[in-house]
Amino acid sequence: MFEAFKWWRGLLIAFGLLALMRVVVPLPFANEVVIFSIYTIGCSFLLGRVGFISFGQPAYLAIGAYGTGFYLFYFGTNPFVGLLVGIAAGFVAAAIVGPLFVRLRSDYFALVNLALAVIVFYLMQKVLADVTKGDNGLWFLTNIASTPVLDISRPDQFFIFATLVAFFVWAFYKYLDDTLFGACCLATKINEDKLQFLGYSNFKVRLLAFVIANTTTALAGGLYAVYLGFVSPDMTSPARAADPVIVTILGGAGTLYGPLVGTIAYTGMKDVISKLIGNWELFIGFLLVFIMLAGEKGIVGTIEPWLKRIVSRRKAGSRQA
Amino acid sequence: MDAQLLLSGIIFGLSIGSIFFLMAIGLSLCFGLMRVISLDQLLYYSIGGYLTYTVSVGTGSVWLGVLAGLVVAGITAFAVERFVFRRIYDRDVAFSMITTFGILIGGVGVIKAIWGLVPRPVAMPAGDQVDILGTFVPGYRLIVIVVAILVYVAIWLFLNRTIVGKAIRAGIEDVDHVEGLGINVYRLFTITFIIAGTLSGLAGGLHAPLIMVDPSMGLEVIALVFMVVIIGGLGSIKGTAVSALLVGQVMSLGSLIYAPLAQMAPFAIMLLILLIKPTGLYGSPLLKR
Repeated sequence: MFEAFKWWRGLLIAFGLLALMRVVVPLPFANEVVIFSIYTIGCSFLLGRVGFISFGQPAYLAIGAYGTGFYLFYFGTNPFVGLLVGIAAGFVAAAIVGPLFVRLRSDYFALVNLALAVIVFYLMQKVLADVTKGDNGLWFLTNIASTPVLDISRPDQFFIFATLVAFFVWAFYKYLDDTLFGACCLATKINEDKLQFLGYSNFKVRLLAFVIANTTTALAGGLYAVYLGFVSPDMTSPARAADPVIVTILGGAGTLYGPLVGTIAYTGMKDVISKLIGNWELFIGFLLVFIMLAGEKGIVGTIEPWLKRIVSRRKAGSRQA
Repeated sequence: MDAQLLLSGIIFGLSIGSIFFLMAIGLSLCFGLMRVISLDQLLYYSIGGYLTYTVSVGTGSVWLGVLAGLVVAGITAFAVERFVFRRIYDRDVAFSMITTFGILIGGVGVIKAIWGLVPRPVAMPAGDQVDILGTFVPGYRLIVIVVAILVYVAIWLFLNRTIVGKAIRAGIEDVDHVEGLGINVYRLFTITFIIAGTLSGLAGGLHAPLIMVDPSMGLEVIALVFMVVIIGGLGSIKGTAVSALLVGQVMSLGSLIYAPLAQMAPFAIMLLILLIKPTGLYGSPLLKR
């Protein structure tokens, strides 16, 4: 019982703080943070655990968002079903392109993903304009039906739902870290030859990781669609392709809470700095260079050892007493 | 479609391809020799464009502006190499990609602070139309093509006929052996990086009259330039030239057939080529490290 609690403790503290944040900051900000952090954790998992850097995350985000959007615009009204459709769309897309992409080396992988993002962008903006309404986007806010238990068409209840979803996503990724699969992911990043030698298939491990990460990304896309009530090609614009990578690095790639902390820091900085000097790229850019040169550990990667030291010292102290 | 449209389409494609070639050659050399992916080349491209704008407004001569652009781009490249790249040469490729992306958006922020957000037009020099086989094409585009050809020849002579160029080529094959011969490879790196930055600046300066310079001009071409390098194969000059021509033509002729193709077709081609030959057209497995 106590062991189980210990496993959940970190998660409960983190999301307790997140829920508390709701009181302090405006609601749109809190919602943005929750969705964006789900968006980022897929990228963080790929970069920090599997060693794949992807500049194409917006593609999967848009696939999830458009999956949800199509359902809510053309077929149904239930947002939960819409979310499931979005997740399914993301899963199918990742499962189709995955086998082709994960064969490539990390640098090519990043660029092929970027290419996919551009293709999805022009598909949605021009080629499929009859269905997607091009640049105008699909507007379906009024189509979303109120649901009896958690009415996620209202922003405040949406926050509760999104936080719950994020909590379980995080629990899932924490669980992954403990499994054999999690160890294999780390191994394929560090030394693929040795993993092969141990009898595991690099290809299968990478493919599974790729599908998991991008299904999560599609989930974030679906949440965006339900929350904003519209989808537009702007979501997958190549100019925003690096956002999740920046947030991942900022928070600390591969750390469990990195995406959460990184998102809060990034969204917060964007808000505050753009009000102060109207020129936040300058700041973010040089911060990124600084973090990389300082040892690419990010915020969480820097704080974590320090926190652990404090905890262990306190434990040692209580033992003496 | 009629022959005149086709001919002007081909000239258009060649001039676009020339710009891409000038930019991509720097990226390609940097990857080949130093094994870094230098996204900040796009920053030097923007710097080239903006200086062309400023100087051409000040003095009335676009060519002077292009010259100023490439000199300043080269100097900036030198500074960045000194302060940032020196520290990241021995890290893996993804690392340099993220770091240089930081430099790129930081630099875009600086550009926004200096020149503001509004796109600026640059006057077209040599605005006369030239008559080729009964089709009138803008003379400036022909000049761009000629400049790209001259640069290709100059780079080829530099790499094949001078001792520094030969050392760079040897470095692309095996940098450790070059170092073992007593050549200071870090000096080679600096030289290569300055060449790359200067060429990107030149590309920006030449491209400026054809488009409007705006702060995100680098981000707009980033995907296309990358694609040129990838299709050609990282580290191969010939491959870069061939794929720049290919991409330019696909964009220009594709848009004659169906407008959205201009942006999408090159990416589809890149996906196809990478899936068939993961190292690009001319990339050799030697480059794997």
